[in-house]
Amino acid sequence: MRDWQAFVRDRLRLPALAPAREARIVREIASQLEDFYRDAIARGASEGEADAHAAGQITDWARMALDVRRADWPHARSRVDRFVDAIEARPATSRGGWVMVAHMARDVRYAIRQLVRAPAFTAVALLTLALGIGATTAVFSFVDGVLLRPLPYPDPDALVRVHEVLPQIGLFSVAPANFFDWRSQNAVFDRLAAYTTDSETLIGDDGPERIQGMQVSWDLFPTLRTAPAIGTVFTKDDDQPGGNRVVILSHGLWLRRFGGKPGVVGTSVTLSGAPTTIVGVMPADFYFPVRSTEFWRPLALDPANATRGGHYLGVVARMKPGVTVEQAQVQMRSLAERLARQYPADSAGESARVVALQEQVVGAIRPALLMLFAAVGVVVLIVCANVANLLLVRASVREKEMAIRAALGASRQRLLVQVFSESLVLALVGGGLGVLLGYLAIAPIKSLSAGSVPRVADVGLDGRVLAFAAVASMLTGVLFGLGPAWQATRTGVSAVLKQGGRSSATSGSRWVRSGLLVAEVALSIILLTGATLLLRSFAKVTNVDPGFNPDPVLAFQVSLPAVAYKEDPQRLAFYDALLGGLESQAGVESAGLVQTLPMRGDYRLSFGFPSRPPYPPGQEPSAYYRSISSHYFEALSIPIVLGRAFTPQDSASSQPVAIVDTAFARAYFPGQSPVGQQLRIDNGNGKASTIVGVVGDVRYSGLDVTAGPTMYGPYGQDVFSTTWVVVRSKGAPAAESATAREVLHHLDASLPAYAMSPLATIVSDSVGQRRFSMLLLGVFAIVALFLAAVGLYGVVAYSVSLRTREIGLRMAIGARPGDVLGMVVGGGMKLALAGVVLGSSAAVLLARLVQTMLFDVSPSDPASYALTAVALLVVAAVACYVPARRAMRVDPVVALQTE
Amino acid sequence: MFNSELKKGSIEMLVLSLVEARPRHGYDIGKLIEARSGGRLTFALPTLYPTLLRLESRGWLKGRWVEKPGERDRCFYRLTAEGRRILADRREEWRTYVAAVNNVLGET
Repeated sequence: MRDWQAFVRDRLRLPALAPAREARIVREIASQLEDFYRDAIARGASEGEADAHAAGQITDWARMALDVRRADWPHARSRVDRFVDAIEARPATSRGGWVMVAHMARDVRYAIRQLVRAPAFTAVALLTLALGIGATTAVFSFVDGVLLRPLPYPDPDALVRVHEVLPQIGLFSVAPANFFDWRSQNAVFDRLAAYTTDSETLIGDDGPERIQGMQVSWDLFPTLRTAPAIGTVFTKDDDQPGGNRVVILSHGLWLRRFGGKPGVVGTSVTLSGAPTTIVGVMPADFYFPVRSTEFWRPLALDPANATRGGHYLGVVARMKPGVTVEQAQVQMRSLAERLARQYPADSAGESARVVALQEQVVGAIRPALLMLFAAVGVVVLIVCANVANLLLVRASVREKEMAIRAALGASRQRLLVQVFSESLVLALVGGGLGVLLGYLAIAPIKSLSAGSVPRVADVGLDGRVLAFAAVASMLTGVLFGLGPAWQATRTGVSAVLKQGGRSSATSGSRWVRSGLLVAEVALSIILLTGATLLLRSFAKVTNVDPGFNPDPVLAFQVSLPAVAYKEDPQRLAFYDALLGGLESQAGVESAGLVQTLPMRGDYRLSFGFPSRPPYPPGQEPSAYYRSISSHYFEALSIPIVLGRAFTPQDSASSQPVAIVDTAFARAYFPGQSPVGQQLRIDNGNGKASTIVGVVGDVRYSGLDVTAGPTMYGPYGQDVFSTTWVVVRSKGAPAAESATAREVLHHLDASLPAYAMSPLATIVSDSVGQRRFSMLLLGVFAIVALFLAAVGLYGVVAYSVSLRTREIGLRMAIGARPGDVLGMVVGGGMKLALAGVVLGSSAAVLLARLVQTMLFDVSPSDPASYALTAVALLVVAAVACYVPARRAMRVDPVVALQTE
Repeated sequence: MFNSELKKGSIEMLVLSLVEARPRHGYDIGKLIEARSGGRLTFALPTLYPTLLRLESRGWLKGRWVEKPGERDRCFYRLTAEGRRILADRREEWRTYVAAVNNVLGET
């Protein structure tokens, strides 16, 4: 008879079962096969027949193994154990580093089991970590997308913006004549290109649409080193006065209005009434200078006839290889200053400044983003302190387990690795949850930042952000895991076992926990103080009187194409009809025109006084200038302080008139009335105007910019082809948008009313960046406060649980519940107070970093500090009170019996 | 002989019932099913043995190696208290089911 056990063992593969279990199963199956064999012999079969009969009972051994393993699930062993066994079975010389990996794998599994067994601890730790990593991930995705990622042009570091620097004003646009001289005389740039904003009315099947674009010099695309996806760039000939009417479309406009058909290149479209040939379509990821730019047309400046006094060009340049921004700056400055000396009449005192393009795009938002990044760094530190504290508490509970393991021969290193793997598992799972949280947070933050943060479209959760989150999680794990791991494995075996398993909670570890808590509170105070300072600034900015009442006012833009409205009288007639039409509507209170809306860009002109000695060239003062209609002040509720508003009689044929604001009157007519005085506004007509009125100051450049001197002229004497219309309505402004479009459509169906929005929204958007920084920092500060409260609660609750016996004793000898409450809360509040003092001192030093983001609030604003400290102490008191209540209810008898 | 689904559904009950009175070893259980069904019900080793393991995993059977004088060592399975409860439930369920099916089929 054959050896049936050997027969089965050779065929049945059960690697997932422990060897002893496998042996039992092999033995039993063999035993049954032997029964089949013996039965067959007993029935008279030959040995050969019997053997074949028994051996034939199982044909599909793989299937048998599978069924056995499934049926025997309680004895199945995990892959990890099989892996460890396989490694340990190897001869010591060939194990290499695998033993460590194998042990690590087993430790990780053990750690997961331990964490699952302590769900409350695990949940708090994971939630804390997820908050920290989530906030970090979300903010890093912004830092990365906005600040770190290079601009979408080849070799972007060589691209710079070149500005003019005007005396008394600072950075400014470039005059065309200067641009041509720069282009021909500089030695630092490969190419130098100019552009200015343009908007055109595109007439298509779905009606007229106002599209925003740029007029650019022919070499803009070569400067950016980007070619159209379809078609060609502009030629030098396109960029001549009277050159071809051609246009290059953005990918977005091409898809939106031309159905993405490649065939449109070479065809003609009507732009503002004139036929224009499409010569190219840019690639999908290209934008310049902003994403909302939908087309590019040649600038077609005449070098022979270029102005040196009108500044309106943006200039972008590509530096020659090896040239630095500083070198370019030095040369451009000396070049501009030489030109200024050469043409003192137009350019006296002018200079130039070179700024890296990336810096130009994101420089303004950098402080806010870096501040937020620092803030999430602080949140992560608080998270680390919090989780470390939780782990320390846990470690002191597990001292006995560690001591027994050590007694059984586990080396300290093994124990360290084991405790550490628990931290690592926490960090990775918490990090994973955090990434999810961060991912969910990105979209709301993006919509919050829309319009106030550049390049927001580049923000997203990609490989770089994920890699950052992974590294951040690991570092967090190391940071919060090291201390507890050391602590957990430090205690001597005999010390713990002698105490009969009672947790020792050495004074050393209590000190560490208290220290961590003080640090946590201090860090929270720093964030809270920063958030309070920003909040108070924001409140002050939004409470500033802008000098006009934006509610309920509807604003929109209208642009008259030069083809259909060639002469001023035609434009004036149209505007008169438009305003008359709007004001005849039932829901409209009054309607006015202004060429530049408050909060939407500067428009300044230089000026002089005919009755006074002329200013030297280059030193003429300048002031805001607005060309307005007679009801503009009424529509925006700007008060008339002195004299009168403009009337329809202030026209091209009447005496030139002007109105100034009180800031202008104070600056140039101190102690006297400007009304009746002569003022020469350099708006091109060269005539002196009589000042007929004085109006209240308006903050034209933003709520946080003090109103500067402002001059007004009647649009009848200085008409613009593109203008803003402001309509004060009786009801909600949005309700008048349809009416306004109808009135406009009735006058000229080819004209769109664009950029339509309630003026209140425009004012509120102007502080969008402040709102963005304030809200995000506020959220982080609240998270920090919450985490600090959780930490405080944990430490106090733990100390209460350790002192149950002491409290019982105190109550047995006569302490009242109030005394116990005072003792416990007092202990916690001492820590909180230490943290508040420490944090406030640090905040005083750090607040200077956010000074540029503050408005009308000092970085050492006492109210902000006091408010923050009080808020934190109140939260701390609540966090201490909850465990203290439990201490109050300790029953002395029970407490003293528990030992 | 029978529909394999029908067989699969009843094997656990059959095994449990055979070890109700006294512990039996695996080969014995297979032979008894064949004998008591008049040869109409047979379960091959690859079906029967995993069933024993499964019932043991669930705690309904308990297997123990027994040495008997003059015999080879064999693993004898006995019914646990829980197995007894389960068997009672299954029996009851089976009877009700058969009666219900018979009623529908119009046979008694």
